[in-house]
Amino acid sequence: MSWTEKYRPRTFEEVAGNKKAIEEIKKWIDEWKAGNPQPPLLLVGPPGTGKTTLAHIIGREFSDTLELNASDKRSQDAIRRTAGEASSTYSLFNHDLKLIILDEVDGIHGNEDRGGVQAINRIIKESRQPLVLTANDPYSKRLQTIKPKCKVINIRKVHTASIAAALKRICRAEGIDCPPDVLKELAKRSMGDLRSAINDLEAMAKGEESVGKELLDTGAKDAVSTIFDAVRAVLKSRDVVKVREAMRVDDDPTSVLEFIAENVPREYEKPHEISRAYDMLSRADVFFGRAVRSRDYTYWRYASELMGPGVALSKDETYRKFVRYSGSSSFRILRRTRKKRALRDSVARKMAGKMHISPRVAISMFPFLEIIFENDEMAYEIKEYLELTDEEVKLFRKRKIRAPERKKPGKKTETPGRPLPGPEKRDDEAGADKGRSRKSPEDGSERNRSHGQGEKKNKKNDEKPKEKQTSLFQFK
Amino acid sequence: MSGPWVEKYRPQKLDDIVGQEHVIPRLKRYVEEKSMPNLMFTGPAGVGKTTTALALAKEILGDYWRQNFLELNASDARGIDTVRTSIKNFCRLKPVGAPFRIIFLDEVDNMTKDAQHALRREMEMYTKTSSFILSCNYSSKIIDPIQSRCAIFRFLPLKGHQIIKRLEYIAREEGLEYEPQALDTIVYFAEGDLRKSINLLQSAASLGEKITEESIYEVVSRARPKDVRKMINTVLNGKFMDARDILREIMVLQGISGEDMVTQIYQELSRMAMEGALEGEKYIKLIEAIGEYDFRIREGANPRIQLEALLAKFLEYS
Repeated sequence: MSWTEKYRPRTFEEVAGNKKAIEEIKKWIDEWKAGNPQPPLLLVGPPGTGKTTLAHIIGREFSDTLELNASDKRSQDAIRRTAGEASSTYSLFNHDLKLIILDEVDGIHGNEDRGGVQAINRIIKESRQPLVLTANDPYSKRLQTIKPKCKVINIRKVHTASIAAALKRICRAEGIDCPPDVLKELAKRSMGDLRSAINDLEAMAKGEESVGKELLDTGAKDAVSTIFDAVRAVLKSRDVVKVREAMRVDDDPTSVLEFIAENVPREYEKPHEISRAYDMLSRADVFFGRAVRSRDYTYWRYASELMGPGVALSKDETYRKFVRYSGSSSFRILRRTRKKRALRDSVARKMAGKMHISPRVAISMFPFLEIIFENDEMAYEIKEYLELTDEEVKLFRKRKIRAPERKKPGKKTETPGRPLPGPEKRDDEAGADKGRSRKSPEDGSERNRSHGQGEKKNKKNDEKPKEKQTSLFQFK
Repeated sequence: MSGPWVEKYRPQKLDDIVGQEHVIPRLKRYVEEKSMPNLMFTGPAGVGKTTTALALAKEILGDYWRQNFLELNASDARGIDTVRTSIKNFCRLKPVGAPFRIIFLDEVDNMTKDAQHALRREMEMYTKTSSFILSCNYSSKIIDPIQSRCAIFRFLPLKGHQIIKRLEYIAREEGLEYEPQALDTIVYFAEGDLRKSINLLQSAASLGEKITEESIYEVVSRARPKDVRKMINTVLNGKFMDARDILREIMVLQGISGEDMVTQIYQELSRMAMEGALEGEKYIKLIEAIGEYDFRIREGANPRIQLEALLAKFLEYS
């Protein structure tokens, strides 16, 4: 279970921040229970600040929670059903109140359409049950007709200190030793998004006792906030003087370049703006290359002008919108691909060890192995030769490899299923096999391949006594 | 255990090595004299550098060659220090059962200049008891002090008929049924790389039927890094951030270098144009962009940024 799930607050008291909002929510709940139906609650705020969490906590105050997708027909039926009942009885029995949740109604984060505005308005109109809606962007056009019908509650970004405190609690619960300045750093970087802070903490900490020394390597903690200021200035403004000022940071300029690059497409919307901005960054990077090669760091000043004012002026006009900037996504991608990369590397190492090739060359052979591994016999041979584990085999092939029938069970040194080509045998084999294709079903039984084919035809519960003897090959 | 054919059919003797006729006789003289200087083998991938080094070591060192031969990847991610320690530990003792020791270092051109300077010092330190064989793709990336300490051997891409002869031998040994055109097709795609040729052959053989031209085309199309076309189409559809994420995943998961990635993009665009999936004018503009950014990758510091910029350029044609 992910930490964001594991440590999701279950009561109002456990929720970080937004105390005032919670008070309003409690009042709203009380009114419902007292038999006074209320307009729907609309929780609006940036991601990772607790809207869905609050919705579910509210749900616990009622007899049931229904999370609905407004455009889904089944959901509409469900609503109609619950709308139909209870109109007369809820004043007597609280138990009959079911909370309906409509999450992310403004669809800002590319969620599938959660129902046209019409459907949502219909639900608001028809439902007799308490209704909670959540949204990210208070100025979204989709909300314009909905807002007036609701009680709007703003959920604010969580304070850095609250985030740090929450992270500290989690560390203690997980038995992880984490220095407070690392936690504070994580908290700062999340920019009020508690969910992402917990995710980042989990990624760093999974499997490790102590956490995040690498975070501190970026220098004094002030430097990070300065990078964000630099990026913000470059992307938000077109004022060359202001941008140059903001670019004066302690950080390694190549990191600054990465940060700017990361966020250009988040800020700039027009294709030619993104293209121009990236062209500037690319030219800046060329100057970095020249500086390294010639060991002449005066080239850096050109890089700086290009990635600062150059990028700033790549946009036609400034954008007035809220953008959440992000550090490099490499971190996230590394996290997501960690297991696969570990497998890839361990296979590459085995290949390097046995085949006199470098890991890099080994990896370049993987696409071939994917094809070769479809052939049972070859897959088996190579798996044995490289001593691959079942997990590693999965890199190349989904199905388990069945051991081909063997003449002498238990002998690892023989190539199963195929007679060893000794020098005296070579001519015979060549003669016998000339013109015969490798794996046709009509093939002679010399190579036991027809047995192999037969095995495949009678799928699962094949009882092959020979296979049972050779327990080495019972792949779990 | 036979395992992959590239290993199963690796020549064990200098005489059996495919091609490189300008190189082998000189090496055989070292075998006769039972001594050799430091060597540098330079040339493209898959033409026999490692195979030759192994064969040479076996013949010149004799029966106990295994104990007196150390094989290392010079660009080991763990760094020059690990490499140095391995060399030091290996060279501490005098060679036993062999006239001297050989240290084979692969991918030396991937080492930083500083690491290469450190390597040169190692080479000097053990010159009395050991010889080095350094292998690389681009000798221009090797610092001069190392080049001047080595006898340089340039390995050339193999010729079509040399590759075909070897493939025919393997096909005979494995009892494969094939069309002659299939082998020509392999030669075409392999571009002088015998390792790639053998992998193509084995992949085609694994498909189970007679090996035809079609089988080779099928293998080639399946043996590409995945998702390059998806990435290109995504950006040509205007979705820059999605395309950028795909690029990053490809590079991280498949461990592809910037230059290789450029090659992949170029080849994929080429294919798309041939299939009619991309019209002429657009194709030319994109190729122009690739060329420019290929150059910038070599000049610049961060290949990934350059590739992202290339994608951003593609965005203009969406």
